[in-house]
Amino acid sequence: MAVPDRPGDDSWKIVGRSIPRREDAWLLTGQGCYIDDVPEPSNTLHLGFVLSSEAHARIVLIDAEEALALPGVIDVLTGEDIARLTRPIHTGFLLEGHRDTTRDAVAREKVRFVGEAVAVVVAENPYVAEDGVERVLVTYDPLPAAVALESAAGDDAPLVHEELGTNVVLESTFATEGLDEAFADATRIIKETFRTGRIAGVPMEPRGCLATTGRAGEELTMWTATQIPNIVKTALAKLLGHPESGIRVITPDVGGGFGTKAHFYPEELVCPALALKYGRPVKWIQDRREELLTNIHAREHIYTVEVGIDGDGAIVAMRCNMMANAGAYSSYPFGATLESVGGVRFILGPYHIRNYGYETRAVASHTCPAGAYRGTAQPTAMLAIEGMMDRIAREIGIDPAEARRRNLIKPEQLPYTTAVGTHYRTGSYSESLERALEMIGYEEFRTSQPPDRLVDGKYRGIGICCYTENSGMGVAAVRARGWSVLPGFDGALVRVASDGKVKAFISHAACGQGYHTSFAQIVADQLAVPFEDVSIVVGDTGLTPEGTNTFASRGTVTGGGAAVRACLVVAEKMKRIAAHVLEVSADDIVIENGVAMVQGVPDMRMTVREIAEVAYSLTSHVMPEGDDYGLEATDHYDAGMPTISNAVHVATVAIEPADGTVEVERYVVVHDCGRVINPMIVDGQIHGGAVQALGEVLMEELVYDDAGQLQNATLLEYSLPTALDVPMIDIEHIQSITDENPGGFKGLGEGGVIGGVPALTNAIADALAGIGANVNTNPLKPSRIAELIDAALESR
Amino acid sequence: MSKVEVRLTVNGAEYVRSVEPRYLLVDFLRRELGLTGTHIGCEQGVCGACTVLLDGQTARSCLHFAVQVSGSEITTIEGVSAEASLSPIQDAFHRNHALQCGYCTPGFVLTTVELLRQNPSPDETEIRRGLTNNVCRCTGYVNIIKAVAEAARSMPTGEG
Amino acid sequence: MKPAPFEYVSPETEEEVLDLLRRHGDDARLLAGGQSLVPMLNLRIVQPAVIIDLGRCPSLAYITVENGSLVCGTMTRQMTAERSSEVREACPLLAAALPHLGGTAHRNRGTVGGTLAHADRLAELPAVALALDAELLVRSAGAERTVAASGFFLSDLTTSLREGEMLHAVRFPRAGVHHRAAFAEVGNRRHGFAVVGVAAALEVSKDGACAGVRLAVMGVGPTPVRLAEAEHILVENPFDADILRTAGEAAAQSVDPANDIHASAAYRRRLTATLVERAVREAVA
Repeated sequence: MAVPDRPGDDSWKIVGRSIPRREDAWLLTGQGCYIDDVPEPSNTLHLGFVLSSEAHARIVLIDAEEALALPGVIDVLTGEDIARLTRPIHTGFLLEGHRDTTRDAVAREKVRFVGEAVAVVVAENPYVAEDGVERVLVTYDPLPAAVALESAAGDDAPLVHEELGTNVVLESTFATEGLDEAFADATRIIKETFRTGRIAGVPMEPRGCLATTGRAGEELTMWTATQIPNIVKTALAKLLGHPESGIRVITPDVGGGFGTKAHFYPEELVCPALALKYGRPVKWIQDRREELLTNIHAREHIYTVEVGIDGDGAIVAMRCNMMANAGAYSSYPFGATLESVGGVRFILGPYHIRNYGYETRAVASHTCPAGAYRGTAQPTAMLAIEGMMDRIAREIGIDPAEARRRNLIKPEQLPYTTAVGTHYRTGSYSESLERALEMIGYEEFRTSQPPDRLVDGKYRGIGICCYTENSGMGVAAVRARGWSVLPGFDGALVRVASDGKVKAFISHAACGQGYHTSFAQIVADQLAVPFEDVSIVVGDTGLTPEGTNTFASRGTVTGGGAAVRACLVVAEKMKRIAAHVLEVSADDIVIENGVAMVQGVPDMRMTVREIAEVAYSLTSHVMPEGDDYGLEATDHYDAGMPTISNAVHVATVAIEPADGTVEVERYVVVHDCGRVINPMIVDGQIHGGAVQALGEVLMEELVYDDAGQLQNATLLEYSLPTALDVPMIDIEHIQSITDENPGGFKGLGEGGVIGGVPALTNAIADALAGIGANVNTNPLKPSRIAELIDAALESR
Repeated sequence: MSKVEVRLTVNGAEYVRSVEPRYLLVDFLRRELGLTGTHIGCEQGVCGACTVLLDGQTARSCLHFAVQVSGSEITTIEGVSAEASLSPIQDAFHRNHALQCGYCTPGFVLTTVELLRQNPSPDETEIRRGLTNNVCRCTGYVNIIKAVAEAARSMPTGEG
Repeated sequence: MKPAPFEYVSPETEEEVLDLLRRHGDDARLLAGGQSLVPMLNLRIVQPAVIIDLGRCPSLAYITVENGSLVCGTMTRQMTAERSSEVREACPLLAAALPHLGGTAHRNRGTVGGTLAHADRLAELPAVALALDAELLVRSAGAERTVAASGFFLSDLTTSLREGEMLHAVRFPRAGVHHRAAFAEVGNRRHGFAVVGVAAALEVSKDGACAGVRLAVMGVGPTPVRLAEAEHILVENPFDADILRTAGEAAAQSVDPANDIHASAAYRRRLTATLVERAVREAVA
């Protein structure tokens, strides 16, 4: 793909290099400052939440007497008490077919999932807070619970929100014109249902917050482990009735987010509400049990997909019926629509499918609310479409790679608008597939693969996933999704200090992505100053411009885009100042490596520091006419509709028939996120995502029993992959530059898991295809694989 | 609740504090001594974010009461390298991008210190086995495994 | 997840320990390595009034080989046992099983007696003790008794230790020169809790046949289970594939596992067969 000829493109020198990360300096030496490390004033109060033991019940009585009698317990508050200090959490969603629900920060009257807070204990220290929690006696009147997805959608299911009269909190349908006719024309129709299990992001650091007040409550400062400080700030203003100008939200170092921390949670409302009430700092640190019980869950989905194909295996029509378990409440800011709407829209992937229709439903249940986890609905949507590709191949007797070739959007079809209106500007769909197949030795693997797939006593298979990744949503994109509490734009303030050192304040929040390095690379290139001279501030609403923050692979597109634009303004001003001092035209000034010089006359030069001294009036030079003092610029950038990345993952697996265990033997990725800022960081994101996918496919599953009790709310019972489970991963990059945003960037934070889930699942399905097993349900724990093998062998 | 005296040598310095018997070592390090590089991830000994060296061996600081190990020597991440420098292991983690959010990293570094002390030139399988008791949710382990291999190559035998 | 308050005592002699146990009875819990107990304390699943820390009682940490037995004092750290040449020589099955316990950081602190007395249904050493007919040496103030492993593990997290009693040591019969052993387990991931594990210790005759065999399986019930039928099939037979398969199948038929969120009953049965074959094959290899 040709690089568009645009100004600034030849200026990328630091961007594109694998610079080891700057944040490592503090994270590697124990100097990181995570939420529980933020220095707490000595009069800090610590909160403990009393969690519901019932999935669905009326709260009959809350007896706090014994708790209040404990030395060190200051107060115990119920939902009614908290409701006097806060407004209920409500997203005010604007999407047809969505029935929004409201959540009290602490439950009143009724509880709707195990883990929902029913009271809050205020204590002198975290140990006593827990002592207090244990002594709050809650009497419940249990009610029948709706738990599993299909039963919660049933007509006779207990209602989660009675006032809605249904558990279906979102219903949406879509069809292109002539869909039925297109199906009628199809040579064959293939149908399959895919089920995926409930999982969660499980960042290594649970959540937490610390709220302090100043100036008699006028100022509220809140440290919180979140990906969305600006969204939290606006929510607090609204729900506390506190002037937004008096609220500052700071994210310290955050120990992993993965979407989990891209939601506003009730504790983030209770902490500041109580800080304002008591006029004392209030702190809450989540423990792992609470993390698994109450942080957003994801991926409990059912897709039924029907494709009509022509004689060559090209899809001529497709229908998708999806259901997603939304849990007990709408999440803030995404409502209950995130997965159910995303799944049916993302499913088209990199494929040319003109005739398409969907029906989708989000179903409320008496379980933890569902929402964003890395990739959101894309891993399961791609699992469904990629599962169909393999079924098409099997049905008409062609190779799975060939089935994809016949359906991929071809280079000459770009730019391309999908049947649901998503715009693909640039991409490398076929090229990345062919390269990935080459890297893994696909032909050779297939040639040497016997019909029963048994090689050296193990079933061996290979799985492919070609995917697209939605990234960098701007204003139009968030409006289209109905997200009324998300602005959509992001902002950057770039300031050159009087010594020539640069600080860029960007409206994102870091939780491991390496923003202190990659954003600095962008700014250094755009201002033509040394990388070492640039530092980055993110995650502090008191310092950064307004914005939408960090989720859905937005960072590089929206934050990077804003930074590029702000830098352009600053760079122009630097040129004007230099031109003024050197008495030449600004057009003749070039800046390189921190020095402005007159083109062709290298002796006529000024360092950026000297320019900055002029801007801050620290020399005898005056500013150019019309230019104000200072050397900074703020830009708010709206990326509009999503920018689409693409990649191909191919994996091989070996399955031990005797115990059903899976070993991932090879794993290759060809990745295209447009201009790569820091290849080492991008590769790290892919590695991490792919291994989260491995967890999702092979071992992770949050299991509720019929009564709505979560069966595995500890890391002893919820397994995450470890170093013994993972493959080494080979990655190559293709860079299809886009002109959709100022940097030519495409987001990539979620792609690893989007590609990994289908590639790994399909590899297992391929390994078991020889014996006729049909793989359509995740996760594939050894027990499940052994069952599939047994059933397949028995039916032969 | 009455308090008990705890005496610990941490990163070479001796500390004496009075805490409740139930006070976990990790809370002692973090809240009493301000050594917040040791992180709390699960309080069940599964994740390894709270790993420290206890008398030279890795131990979960969330699975010990401070009083129980009174008199011991503890090394935390803050004691792994001299001020403003990186140890060979930390440097290998840095160069290989073996950390992202960094929350698990102190535990991995201390686990690697012990691993390379006992096996200065581990092969890939031995590295994986050595790291398997610590959970990282960001890196997918690929670069951690590479970093440990590189650290082993770069270190004279026995250096931590 | 912070523990409830407790009183802490750290006696320095076994006599003091037993005296404290006598005085506090069921209000007290013994703290050995703490790798299983402290997670339960942190979750407040158990809330003893008194914690008696055995960590400052040096007489409880020892490994000796005497009278045809290997004896491990209750406070022997698992890593110490794993690195012990006495353990390797006198009790190869224990040596084979130890690396499967938790991770290094756990074995550095966890103790041989602690994991036996904790009696988790997914712990490896109870299966080893059962397979080897180990003897548990139990003491209380002024009394001592020996309990066979078969009578020690009553249920998940439950042993036949009575109020006021502690596990002093475990005695494993010393292995003969033709002794072979292996421990095989499979879990939903490669590290961590197993779904099923099999302990195999056997004697190989000069002609390569099975002169004696001891098998136990964990993960198929609330306690480890001895696999007598499989043992019966193996003994006095050569270690050929058919025999191993038959023994595995007999083992699978003899257990009665249940479904849980990690695996189905059928899978646990299947793993029992697979792991009997695997452990025996590994032992004789």
